[in-house]
Amino acid sequence: MSTKQAIKVENVNKSFGKGDAFVDVIKDASFTINKGELVALIAPSGAGKTTLLMMLGCVNEPNSGSMWLGDEQVYENKWLTKETRKIRRQKIGFIFQAHYLIPFLNIIDNLTLLPQANEVKDKDSKAKARELLKYFGIAEKEEAMPSQLSGGQNQRVAIARALMNDPEIILADEPTAALDMNRSIDVVKMLKKIALEQDVAIVMVTHDDRMLEYCDRIMKIENKKVVFEK
Amino acid sequence: MIHLAKEDIRHTLGKFIVTAMGVGMLLGIVLIMMGVYRGMIADAEVLLEDLDVDLWIVQENTLGPFAEASRIHEDLQYTLKGYDAIQKSEAITFQSIQIPKGKEQISALAIGYDIYGEISPINPKRLLAGRVIKSEHYEIVVSDKTLFKLGDKIKLGRNFYKVVGITHGSVSSGGDPLVYLSLKDAQELQFTYTNKRVQTDRARGIVNRDAHLVNAIVATVKPIYSLENVSKELKKWLHKSVYTREQQKAVLTKYVIEKASKQIGLFTVILVSVSTIIIALIIYTMTLEKMKEISIMKLIGLPNATIVKMIVEETLLLGVLAFIFGNIFSHLIYDKFPKHVLLESSDALSLFVVVVIASIFASFIGVKKVINADPTAAIGG
Ligand SMILES: Nc1ncnc2c1ncn2[C@@H]1O[C@H](COP(=O)(O)OP(=O)(O)O)[C@@H](O)[C@H]1O
Ligand SMILES: [Mg+2]
Repeated sequence: MSTKQAIKVENVNKSFGKGDAFVDVIKDASFTINKGELVALIAPSGAGKTTLLMMLGCVNEPNSGSMWLGDEQVYENKWLTKETRKIRRQKIGFIFQAHYLIPFLNIIDNLTLLPQANEVKDKDSKAKARELLKYFGIAEKEEAMPSQLSGGQNQRVAIARALMNDPEIILADEPTAALDMNRSIDVVKMLKKIALEQDVAIVMVTHDDRMLEYCDRIMKIENKKVVFEK
Repeated sequence: MIHLAKEDIRHTLGKFIVTAMGVGMLLGIVLIMMGVYRGMIADAEVLLEDLDVDLWIVQENTLGPFAEASRIHEDLQYTLKGYDAIQKSEAITFQSIQIPKGKEQISALAIGYDIYGEISPINPKRLLAGRVIKSEHYEIVVSDKTLFKLGDKIKLGRNFYKVVGITHGSVSSGGDPLVYLSLKDAQELQFTYTNKRVQTDRARGIVNRDAHLVNAIVATVKPIYSLENVSKELKKWLHKSVYTREQQKAVLTKYVIEKASKQIGLFTVILVSVSTIIIALIIYTMTLEKMKEISIMKLIGLPNATIVKMIVEETLLLGVLAFIFGNIFSHLIYDKFPKHVLLESSDALSLFVVVVIASIFASFIGVKKVINADPTAAIGG
């Protein structure tokens, strides 16, 4: 049975450290994000945006609660699978403020690295990579090294990389922070389009209010609580 | 297929190759040292091979001329000839000497042999120029290593000897060149005292019997007889130490080569360890330089195996490349060493196996770094 739900979080708590070093970051978070939705995540610096994203991405373990990705429950007070990394590589696309491409791999290899780990046929993943590069208008750069591309071009490659595994969820941590206004709007529009066309749930951290009008919902962290606006 | 190790190395090719060359030089020295050892063994056996005899009869309770002084009467060869089992037997002397050459002194081992005898220590295959000794006195055959030429006069003891033959590759177990003398000349050189001493001895009524001593009697055994039995019998009847060729070889290995091999073995172990540590450090720094990428790879979901494979392959490649450079290096310089260096492919092969194992060990700290890497380290707060 296929539902609309892409992410479901119930009563999730997250703190770091013990004793004097103890920091409470997220308290009792419960929310659902649907497929095809572009959700903005805004909060002051240090409020826990990255922490929340890394929990949704099965990178950082919550302290307690329940979590579902699609129909699959992945967390119930502990990870329900040892291979959280397999979940990441099969279901999730990551985008960051910097492109974080592998500097010693050319563009097409940067894109096909993850599908290779997913045992996708070389031919298929290359075809997909070329299609994406064309979509992002950098088709002629497939043999180039990241150092030979501009910042904007590399960021588009990074977005393409996040799409290579046909993710159910894309987690974008300040993807436009390093870009100028016009490029930022381009990227957000592009994400919106991807969410709709590919039925992907996207959570995007941003500090820029001008991006919010392109988003479906706005998620905030206020006093360690996750709340929605609009 | 993306080959991470290949791509990463291609990205830092110059540095990688220079490192491999550096480690290669260390491995080259390891190969040279193994070659010195092989050369030593080969040298040690030259005399044994050239004489090509079955039995060595030496002073009782001694190990023979390769290990310690041995004195035995030359007449023993005639006693031996009386035995049915013995085909040939000859007396032979060994003496370390210093040969004056200009202002220098050359260390050599002088072999005295009966020039009319049936067994000659001069392997005809080794004779480069001239001939064997034909006159009972004052002729000498020398190894080409001494750099003497035919017709040169060499002063040994009180007499001058004329170089009548030059051999190639004839060395003692210690690596010194061999020179050959007639038995009489050699005995005189080794056992005769100064005129003064002879005079005073005569005045005291002491006759110099030593002139008829030699260092060993060598013999061959008729093929129908068992070497072991003949050796045992002779030992019983002659009250001498008797060794077969194999036993002499064992003595050589034990007393002449064992210490050297321990020393060379120790050096080899140290150099291989140093190479391993260098490889490990290089791989570790190469890994550290990639920590950001490694974090990201882990974050987006690449399995550890993929990343670990990259590290291990890079280490192995560094080891193998260093090994290749080491071989090239050792072949370029081996003949510049004063000692005989014998590079054998079997030694290179064992070193290869050691290098591969060492490389796998060397990759451990890099691999550990990968496994412990925090996937969120690169993205920060
Ligand atoms: N690994 C960690 N150990 C301890 N504290 C952490 C760790 N990661 C984040 N924090 C703390 O959690 C809080 C939220 O951090 P973060 O999620 O990075 O904030 P944001 O992304 O909203 O700026 C901060 O106070 C930060 O210091
Ligand atoms: Mg953050």
